[in-house]
Amino acid sequence: MAAITAPAPGGLTRSRRKRFLDGIYPYGYIAPSIAFMVIASFFPIIFTLYISMTNYGQGHILSFSFVGLKNFVDIFTTFDVSVFIGVFEWTVAFAVVTTLSCFTGGLILAYLLNNENMWERNIYRTLLIIPWAIPGIVSMLAFQGIFSYFGLADNLTGQLGLGQPQFFNDPFWARVVVLLVGFWAGYPFMMTACLGALQSISPEVMQAAEIDGANAFQKFFRVTLPLLRTATLPLIISTFAYNLNNFGIVYFLTQGGPATSTYAGATDILPTYVYKLAFNLRLFGLGCAYGVVIFLIIGFFSSINMKLSGAFEQVD
Amino acid sequence: MIQPEAQSLEQAVPLPVPVVAREARGLKLFRRAGHKRLRTDERVALWVSRIIIIAVILVFLFPMVYVVGTSVQGGLLFNTNEILPTSFTLQHYQDLFSQTGFLTWIRNSVIVCTSIGVLTVALVATMAYAFSRFRFRGRKYGLMFLLLIQMFPAQMSFIAFYYLLNRIGLYDTLQGLILVLLGGGLPFNAWLFKGYIDSLPRDLEEAAYVDGASKLQAYIRIILPLTRPMMAVIFIFVWFGMYSEFLVTSFLITTPDNYTFAVGLFGFINQQFLNNWTEFSAAAIIGAMPLMLVFLLSQRFLVAGLARGAVKG
Repeated sequence: MAAITAPAPGGLTRSRRKRFLDGIYPYGYIAPSIAFMVIASFFPIIFTLYISMTNYGQGHILSFSFVGLKNFVDIFTTFDVSVFIGVFEWTVAFAVVTTLSCFTGGLILAYLLNNENMWERNIYRTLLIIPWAIPGIVSMLAFQGIFSYFGLADNLTGQLGLGQPQFFNDPFWARVVVLLVGFWAGYPFMMTACLGALQSISPEVMQAAEIDGANAFQKFFRVTLPLLRTATLPLIISTFAYNLNNFGIVYFLTQGGPATSTYAGATDILPTYVYKLAFNLRLFGLGCAYGVVIFLIIGFFSSINMKLSGAFEQVD
Repeated sequence: MIQPEAQSLEQAVPLPVPVVAREARGLKLFRRAGHKRLRTDERVALWVSRIIIIAVILVFLFPMVYVVGTSVQGGLLFNTNEILPTSFTLQHYQDLFSQTGFLTWIRNSVIVCTSIGVLTVALVATMAYAFSRFRFRGRKYGLMFLLLIQMFPAQMSFIAFYYLLNRIGLYDTLQGLILVLLGGGLPFNAWLFKGYIDSLPRDLEEAAYVDGASKLQAYIRIILPLTRPMMAVIFIFVWFGMYSEFLVTSFLITTPDNYTFAVGLFGFINQQFLNNWTEFSAAAIIGAMPLMLVFLLSQRFLVAGLARGAVKG
């Protein structure tokens, strides 16, 4: 890689000292941030890897020792592999369903809003964005109250004669609620993104399809969707990676419950499971081993996303 | 000021729209498009769309309206038999300020969010400028490093943060919390900011050089003022993200005096305050309302900012 310096005016007459200063000048701008990230982001990641190979935690807080890959082996053997597999499956299912439902719902709403004849559509859009504008901690805890035992939702279904499922005590209903609330919280972002993408499709394309005799469904599935794909695919993948790690929704709603084993509950996703292992049981070494596993899973999806969005080409 | 229409999040630079056309589009808000007679199928489609959208809005916003009702309802619990409150009291708002640490939590959250917001903008504005405008040895590795850090969820290092902050004596302090939370958002925001500076023409600085400005002057006097919208967007999004941060904060903060809003609010219903839903609702409303208004009032601006800085696909 050759160092390319921008040709500066009067370059030849400059003294060597000035040239040297020009050469190091850019580093002055990046040094504080890069140094900070090395210390506060990169080093903790490496340190997580290190702790994952120690017995740091309950009983070994002050002095802990190196145990090699024991924690990683534990994840898959003695520590009950079925717990990990169950949590992992639900994490992926939650992320897939939430991402797809948010994209589908967001796209439908954006499609309906993208109507020139609807003069009041900006009002609707503002109202529809509200779930995005409320801090997650507030809305999720409110939903916890609404769906809790003898809460509003329980009572409403009771009055409608559907029975009182006690949403958070039943593994199935707890998962349904998590998915519904995940949709509620996530669709505004997708709707906003899709609306932007829809508005960038030129009306001429639509008119051409119409002249060729396409009906509304054909126009949507044959013209609009393919045109949206390039703009929205990176967003879908980054939303998926975000949902794999969506600690707030699960922890604020259910704390991972209802419990299905000593360590995990029916709605636990990997981050909440690790948080509980560390916070409640103080199994720090094991928690870090799980952390490393999560790093690898999410890192994998992030790199796919960067590849697709052309981030790597931007580096050159 | 007229904000440009929201473009695709992927489109790095919105196409320039003639001012006249933009104003015409803006005016449409206040004028029925009805001067053009709609065909019957268009009218049916319009009304079906309206009914669906309004139904969605009613269902989706109802839970939040219910919380507002609960905050003025007597007693401790959510009112589960009636949808509308059956009594009216401002007692919970009073109790919130006199009997809980609510004001302390808000103060701590404002300190943490504002510090992280300001520091993020300062670090990102300088770094992104160098990556956008200069070609220097190691630039490629620097950008690769940003991508690498961005790949991994910073919050999953929380156990390492716990150990390291204990070692340097910053465990259970707001300074320590700011230190560890600051790092996570830097790479993403650096890309956003770099994309924005990339879209500013280089002629601006060159004209300044011709007028005798030094490099530093060109940066401070020409570039920085132009990036103010991007600074605002990043500041607001960082503020929002940190306001709800719970995982790292609850792990590193143990003294109630150092609780942030998120940790305090969580405790309202899950720990010492035991299911005090009416007071929770009051706290939720005071804690969420200002942010919600800022977000909704600046939504066009925020989306346009994201779109302009986004990595070009």
